[in-house]
Amino acid sequence: MSADILLGLVGLILTLMVFSYIFGDNLFFRVALTILAAVSAGYTAAVLITKVIIPLLIHPLGATRGAALLWMVFPLLLAVLVGLMIFPRLSKLGKIPLSFLVGVFAALTIFGVVRGTLTPQLLAVINRFSPELLQNAGLPDWARIVWAVMVLLGVIAVLLAYQHYTHKRKADEAHASLLDGVGSIGQIFVGITLGATFVMIFSTALVALISRVVWIKDFLAGLL
Amino acid sequence: MKRIIPLFVATLTSFFVLAGLIWPVSLGGYLNIVLDWAIIVGAMALLVAIAHLFLAQWRKIARGNRSSFYSLVFVIVFLLSLGGGLVMGVDDPEYRLWISSIQKPLEVSLLGLAAVVMAGAGVQFYRTRGWSPLTVAFGVSALVFLVIDLGFLQVLNSPPVNAIIKTLQMLPLIGARGLLIGMSFGALIVALKALTGEGVGND
Repeated sequence: MSADILLGLVGLILTLMVFSYIFGDNLFFRVALTILAAVSAGYTAAVLITKVIIPLLIHPLGATRGAALLWMVFPLLLAVLVGLMIFPRLSKLGKIPLSFLVGVFAALTIFGVVRGTLTPQLLAVINRFSPELLQNAGLPDWARIVWAVMVLLGVIAVLLAYQHYTHKRKADEAHASLLDGVGSIGQIFVGITLGATFVMIFSTALVALISRVVWIKDFLAGLL
Repeated sequence: MKRIIPLFVATLTSFFVLAGLIWPVSLGGYLNIVLDWAIIVGAMALLVAIAHLFLAQWRKIARGNRSSFYSLVFVIVFLLSLGGGLVMGVDDPEYRLWISSIQKPLEVSLLGLAAVVMAGAGVQFYRTRGWSPLTVAFGVSALVFLVIDLGFLQVLNSPPVNAIIKTLQMLPLIGARGLLIGMSFGALIVALKALTGEGVGND
């Protein structure tokens, strides 16, 4: 039996194990999920050891001399403290390296969110009101003006829908009815976005399902 | 005191990283060193998490639990996968072929299965949430975009229909912008809370 046929048979068996979920949760489906989790965990561990720990920590320790070696002591110490977390009694030692990690990720999140998402999204809403965009041959382009206003109001309504969920209980009655109204408009825009996203994911999943069924048919036809 | 040291470390690190990102010319070199350290610590933390997962399965086998069969499968496949990667190297074509031959059919089949599950989840959404502006807009939007995605309307090649489709396709962008801005504010608040001590070093 060639390797291609063997790998194809493995793929076929695993596919059928996953599709067995159509008849309800069962042993084959759970085994398939366990295999996926185990392979992914094993592969991730192998990549982390061979691509991060060895080249960034172990190799530089052997190759570095003098003052530069001091720069490697700090990450080594942090890595050892994290490693000791395997033992439940020593898990508290991991707090300092994990705090270091939280600090780095918090800073990257603040910078990334402000520069990468918040500013571009806010600018995309505001730039629609740029005079060059709202004019056509010196005359107001009403279609673009209406669209720009709609985008601005829609975004505000969606943001108020968040506020509406958070402060629903605290608000007084008059305040609550106003928030309810604007929040409902926001909910409509959120619903439209979620509906479109649902269809996008559903279409992708359907294509995956069809491609898998076609692959099974082709593989079995090749065997016979 | 127990709480102050981790908070001090987190705040100091984040201010240094932010300073490095804002003034890359003066601090860029040091920032790269700190980011390398973060990669090492992050990798180590992930390895510890995987080790915990492995040990939990190992203990289940030792205790002979009812679910120890799954644990046995996990331990065997994990060791084969890890051992293969360490002995052959993760870049070895044969090792990668084996890993992808197991992962790809499972992932694609699970995605395909998601189509069946999602069809049911769409109905379940109405049962749990009831009728509201959100659920009605969701249902109408899903139906409209399903019809548009089929491509039959585009075949008509009618300029008014195409203009309507183009306008409809831009509608989800409004909600998406609002959601992204809202989520960004949420992420900012979580990050700032971490730096001010909420969630760091709690016992």
